[in-house]
Amino acid sequence: MSYRLIGKDFTPPDLEAKVTGTARFSEDFRADGMAFIRILSSPMPHAQVKDIDLSKAERVPGFLAALTPEEVKQPAPPGQPILSAEPAYVGQPVIAIAAETEQAAEDAIAAVDVELEPLAFCVDPLESLKPGGPNATLGGNISGRGIDYQEVKWTGRDFAVAGDERLPMGNPVVEWNFGDIDKAFSEAAVVVEESIVHASNAHHAMEPRSAAAYWENGKCHVWGSTQSTAFAQPSLATLIGIPPSDLVFFAEFCGGGFGGKAASYPLMALPALMSKKLGGRPCLIRVSRAEEYYNGYARAGFQAWAKMGFRSDGRLIAADVYVVQDLGSTSGFWDFNNVGSATTIVFQPENMRFRAVPVLTNTVPKGAQRGPGENQTANMFEPLLDKAARELGIDRLAIRTINAPGGGGKDAKYGKDQGSVTSAYLREALEKGAERFRWAERAARSGERNGSKVRAVGIGQAYHSAGSNGFDGLVRITPDGVLHIHTGVGNLGTFSYASTSRVSAEVLGYDWDRCVIERGGTARSIPWNLGQFGSNTNFTMTRTNWVAATDAKNKLLAIGAMEMGGEPEDYDLADEHVVARADGSKRMSFADCASKAMALGGGYDGHEVPEEINPLTKAAVAAIAGTGLIGVAKDTLPKDGTVPALAAGFIEIELDLETGKWEILDYVGVADCGTVIHPQGVAAQVRGGAVMGFGLATSERHVYDPAYGRPGARGLYQAKPKTYLDVPVQMGWDAVDEPDPQNPIGAKGIGEPLEGAASSALICAISEALGGHIFNRTPVVTDMIVNVAAGRPQSHKPLQTNCE
Amino acid sequence: MDEFGPYDPAVDYTSEPAIKELRPGAREATNWKPLNMTRRNFLRGVVCSGIVIAGAGYVFSHPTKARADTRAVDRLVSLTVNGRKRQVDAPPNETLAYTLRYRLGLTGTKIGCNRAECGACTVMADGVSIYSCSTLTHRLRGKEIVTIEGVAAPDGTLHPVQQAFIDEIGPQCGFCTPGQVVAAVALLNKNANPTVDEARLAMSGNLCRCGAYDHYLRGVMKAAGRA
Amino acid sequence: MSDVMHDFELYQPASMADALELLDDHGKNAWIVAGGKDSLDWFKDRVMTPPVLVDISGIAELQGIREEADGGLWLGAMTTLTEIAESDLVTAKFPALAEAAGRVASPQIRNVGTLGGNLAQDTRCFYYRDGFPCYRAGGNTCYANTPTAMNREHTLFEASRCVAVTPSDTAPAAVALEAEMVIRNEDGERTVKAEDFFVSPDIDITRMTVLEPGDILIGVRLPGKWAGSSQYFEKVADRNVWDFALVNVAMAAKLEGGRISDARIACGAVQCTPRRLTDVEDLIKGETPDEELETLVARVASSGAKPLNYNHFKVPLMANLAKRAVRSLA
Repeated sequence: MSYRLIGKDFTPPDLEAKVTGTARFSEDFRADGMAFIRILSSPMPHAQVKDIDLSKAERVPGFLAALTPEEVKQPAPPGQPILSAEPAYVGQPVIAIAAETEQAAEDAIAAVDVELEPLAFCVDPLESLKPGGPNATLGGNISGRGIDYQEVKWTGRDFAVAGDERLPMGNPVVEWNFGDIDKAFSEAAVVVEESIVHASNAHHAMEPRSAAAYWENGKCHVWGSTQSTAFAQPSLATLIGIPPSDLVFFAEFCGGGFGGKAASYPLMALPALMSKKLGGRPCLIRVSRAEEYYNGYARAGFQAWAKMGFRSDGRLIAADVYVVQDLGSTSGFWDFNNVGSATTIVFQPENMRFRAVPVLTNTVPKGAQRGPGENQTANMFEPLLDKAARELGIDRLAIRTINAPGGGGKDAKYGKDQGSVTSAYLREALEKGAERFRWAERAARSGERNGSKVRAVGIGQAYHSAGSNGFDGLVRITPDGVLHIHTGVGNLGTFSYASTSRVSAEVLGYDWDRCVIERGGTARSIPWNLGQFGSNTNFTMTRTNWVAATDAKNKLLAIGAMEMGGEPEDYDLADEHVVARADGSKRMSFADCASKAMALGGGYDGHEVPEEINPLTKAAVAAIAGTGLIGVAKDTLPKDGTVPALAAGFIEIELDLETGKWEILDYVGVADCGTVIHPQGVAAQVRGGAVMGFGLATSERHVYDPAYGRPGARGLYQAKPKTYLDVPVQMGWDAVDEPDPQNPIGAKGIGEPLEGAASSALICAISEALGGHIFNRTPVVTDMIVNVAAGRPQSHKPLQTNCE
Repeated sequence: MDEFGPYDPAVDYTSEPAIKELRPGAREATNWKPLNMTRRNFLRGVVCSGIVIAGAGYVFSHPTKARADTRAVDRLVSLTVNGRKRQVDAPPNETLAYTLRYRLGLTGTKIGCNRAECGACTVMADGVSIYSCSTLTHRLRGKEIVTIEGVAAPDGTLHPVQQAFIDEIGPQCGFCTPGQVVAAVALLNKNANPTVDEARLAMSGNLCRCGAYDHYLRGVMKAAGRA
Repeated sequence: MSDVMHDFELYQPASMADALELLDDHGKNAWIVAGGKDSLDWFKDRVMTPPVLVDISGIAELQGIREEADGGLWLGAMTTLTEIAESDLVTAKFPALAEAAGRVASPQIRNVGTLGGNLAQDTRCFYYRDGFPCYRAGGNTCYANTPTAMNREHTLFEASRCVAVTPSDTAPAAVALEAEMVIRNEDGERTVKAEDFFVSPDIDITRMTVLEPGDILIGVRLPGKWAGSSQYFEKVADRNVWDFALVNVAMAAKLEGGRISDARIACGAVQCTPRRLTDVEDLIKGETPDEELETLVARVASSGAKPLNYNHFKVPLMANLAKRAVRSLA
């Protein structure tokens, strides 16, 4: 299929604002008389507020108002309130104060007397599961999506049987299986069995989640930092306590989210509530870095166990997986479920059992972080493939290609129900990457010593479910002939808001310079779209833009037939004109069609809309009805099966056995992302995902003091995201570029598995450099490498988590 | 992401008001036990109960005002920002990033960490790149400050670094970008033809969580050829 | 957690005389600011809230690098780390210090951060920085020295109630190069050897250096003795930018006829003060650097270490860095 725009590079329209500093993020909001908010955060990991005395705070010059937990809606526990009277982690907001200046607000916070009664707390899920172990919240220690909030304790026997080195495995909360694992294990040529710890780590988006708000004429105006525009609107309105139609929401730029700003979140509503208390006066909260750590969510950690049985050719015939998830202090995210599903799609086990327990801890709330669950799966299980390959004496690439789904994925099975996928080319990604990376040649020299340094190579793979459907598309052709593509997806920085909008221009044959993307806030009349998360944008939004443009196309053809005679089928679109197929001189410009649409009214100019579109889309159309030819439609295109984004990563490192430091000599990432719609965008995702992955693999983790529950990795220098000097100067990228059959242009998701492919490749390479030593712990930090190289034991206990 | 169903109009998203109407004195009406704890007692209380709180001064008991001393700096400070002399009324404890953003309206300079760790606040002072979030405004008296707003030509023509960052898609989310641009301009002003290793080192004080280092660096090298 | 500094009065003296007078007048209320990169965080956290700041960065006398008669160098305390890292004089004569300065934090920090500030910086112990009332903060407990505490970055040697380490990269270089610190107060000037400049907790647990209220470190004298000698500096940190050393090493040595005639070697981040490796110095003097010597160096470099729970990796790391320093002489 050849396209004019799809697959071509272009300059995303928001780039100039980004390089000139004119891009407006939420902390850039300014208004006369703006008040500043600061918050009092819990110093304790778990406590009950007994008393709040604001009398001294109120006397601080400039004090305007305070908000306390009793003034805000409290969700059912263990939900995350805006302000909490039972803070369940260090840093949880308890009280907010607005003042004339930021310093006055901070001074007033310092003058608040709050009496907190300490409650039992825990920063290790296994501790909470012990008989008599502490619960992170008063109502229990177990929660999660689709799981009742409850208390679960395992037996003393469960722990005694496991001992110190093996994951205790009491009754699970989630369990499923397919096939017959016992039989399969008995037939396996090699069985590997390991207990594993994967750390939690902070998102630490560069932009803290600052927010601003004011009220005017009964409407609440909010500036927030979110990955999603339309999708955040109803939930933010709920947090504020107004109907979505009373919320005017601005979210033109988002300084990084990685899942941590998926839609709305409690802190985003705080300025609106404070402003309401101040009679609508504009309020801004500048969120600090520490507060971003506390409130910015984190990837969930695991204490896990896996047993995998392989046939002599490397085929995985049995997988038995048990994960204990660190939920943090709220119901968190379902990373645990994603471990199960990722295992099925990437390794295609013939028989499998999966068990999980998500446990509440007094650590920051966990949320989705780039490949939630799936990237931990890669880091935990890819090294096990290497171990099996070594034991079987087969190549590490071979053990992956024999298991990976490929050939389009017709035989690929997904999830506990072993359902179908829309397309899968992981095997092809491995083959393409291996060729590009020259795997055979480099694998042959892997392990070569040069003084204290060892060269080693590694491969990683990862998956994320990457496509949804059922949302709306909206386009408009104004009488000047310009195409306005309305999109509510958000601007996370992948530029997919723009690359997917180009589908509308492709369908209508538009010159890209004659298109305008309407986005960044509810005032831009945005349709109901899914958020920009879960690597779904490419698949989901190309479909909505396709159906909206197709609706516009049909209307253009109908107008052409109406004006020039004949039937719509007699016309085609060319050069922004409706042109008669039989006679090229019979033509009518889109501009004229738009004027005609306005004269016709009804469905042509948005005065009538399809019944099935969402009320929010209807509201958006109502605001622009009569201003041009409107194309609006709900995506009802067929979709059957899971849409997998898959990726493979190849890495070569040189590790210094004396210092524990390593250097990446080369990295190549290959994406199975369907049709490449924006090559530079894919390149940026491959490389950016890799950089984040290298941090996930080797330096980023949560650390909590178990005696005081205070976090040790709050700041950036403690959380250790990678810098320019920790990653290669240049990295290679490629894509399989095979279209997904269930998307009109063949696109599917990109970004998330690219992190897990890189992180797991690096972990595997480090193990290879250390003679195949498997750490069973992510991240693999400098001291762990030094200890292995020096033949010393590790400092941490095998299943200890949230530790150094 | 089947887990996120489309917005359901049947769901009442507004069943409860998020903020209760407050009547005067409502707080006193709660059954919370009033307790007059000083901050110091509070601190002692939490330490004794096995929990500690940050925030009290151990070396300096309290921020007490020093006696009036005319040698102390005035609030008024004169700065040169992007070639313009600016008189600013800034307290002594204000950082340059704050002054730029909240007093001079120059919001292109970003505060990412406020702790001199991320580089989003990078500006040039007499040609040298600095973290404006961790530099007192009064330290900049008499210095020539250039922010992201002062990098392009007066007629709006983009600086070669800015153009190269567009060409190479340097930014992703864009929040660190102003700092990356300024760091790159400071480098090229000093060394018009850096090696890639020199460029990488000069840029290394600027974090990018999106991991766009490779693309930024391609931009710097491309701009070096043009600058 | 606070992020806005408390109110303070700021003084920006242009001369040493004014600065000393201000410090004398304000006594314990005064806090000296150089580059401000350590100080401002304390204030934003409001763990330290001094009412008076004396910014000494504008004092011309404290700036600059100049050659001394003995072939050594004088480095003004307010000379920036960038100036030191890029100085032809320092690079030629004392490359270990130039490299150490160049490995501090990040370019923007080095552009403002000063040699004096880097040498005199406070420890990074999490508990101390977080505001725990520990020994160093005037309390009566160490929160880091427990079996479960976060002490990966803490001491191997000479713990005395406090187990925090010096985080400085330039400090071990100063010790290895036999630097002299010149300190001035209202009563006059004194010179302190680098080794004596840093204070261990058994002497005074509340400070890292001999500097007392009223004192200003005005500069560092590097004696000509080690100018142009064989030098080595290496820092191992988790990240290659903006990170504190897990262990760092600095060495100055002289070779005569292939043998090591004299050497000084010091490690940072292994005890509260930079640790001179006298056992290594004694071992290598008179020896020819070779593999056997490296093995012996590794054996003695970290002997006697008393690691805590999470930091025993520093024992082999320190030994390896000492070995690499000596290897550089081969």
